[in-house]
Amino acid sequence: MLVLSLKNISNNMTKEELIIKLKVIVKPYVQDEQAFKNLSEETDFIKDLKINSANLVDVVLDVEDEFDIEIDNDSMEKMLSVKAAIEIIEEKLSA
Amino acid sequence: MIGNDVVDLQLAKTQSNWQRKGFLEKQFTEEEQQTILNSENPFLQVWLFWSMKEAAYKCYVQEHQKRFFAPKKFKCKILSKKEGIVQVNSFIYNIKIILSDFYIHALAVKNKNKKMVSALFFINKKSSQTKITNQYLLSYFSDKVKLHKNEVGIPFLYEQQKRLPVSISTSHHGDYGGFAFILENEF
Repeated sequence: MLVLSLKNISNNMTKEELIIKLKVIVKPYVQDEQAFKNLSEETDFIKDLKINSANLVDVVLDVEDEFDIEIDNDSMEKMLSVKAAIEIIEEKLSA
Repeated sequence: MIGNDVVDLQLAKTQSNWQRKGFLEKQFTEEEQQTILNSENPFLQVWLFWSMKEAAYKCYVQEHQKRFFAPKKFKCKILSKKEGIVQVNSFIYNIKIILSDFYIHALAVKNKNKKMVSALFFINKKSSQTKITNQYLLSYFSDKVKLHKNEVGIPFLYEQQKRLPVSISTSHHGDYGGFAFILENEF
């Protein structure tokens, strides 16, 4: 029971850390500063942050560099929100 | 169905670096990459392909109501200086290309025999580009008509809560805005 709860805590922290790292990555491409300030898991890169779709590939490439992972086409297809990006990074890191 | 995309070439120069490692590989098919690298003006070829893909994507999403980021699935072919096609899965879109030294305007339609209205304009402001672009489009309709985007980002026209059966598309980038709509009822 104790082990389980500790594991949960550490997973949660990792997700927080991932969001902080992701925030640094997307910052140069953001065109809605207010949405950027309120960034959460639910934030959409295009609808909320107004990132130019041509810059979405820069976000993907920056994520690959930062986490030393490879994002395949199928994963990239889903990478439209903070939540999707976190899921993909977690999946690739644990692979 | 209609889709349009505007690229401000001056802004594209500073906003993205097409020569960045992985940039071409992630977005363009082998064939497109070869065309880009063999082009006299690779920068322009990159943004022409990109704009064609984006215009076709807007058409595709309008039809399928699902968002995704898979530029490589949109395969471009240039037919002439003013025309091209984009294929995605089993769907083919006809592209009209309007190219100047300052911008690219790509218009995608499924059926090229349908009459459409489109415009490209200079936006003399650094903010509210979305609003200005929408106003240009709305000036073709009655005062009561409003524009709203649905949850997948597709714009529709409404007249008193009622959705109009007109396929429209808007786009802006840097100093330029554009729109297009089909004259016949689409849905």
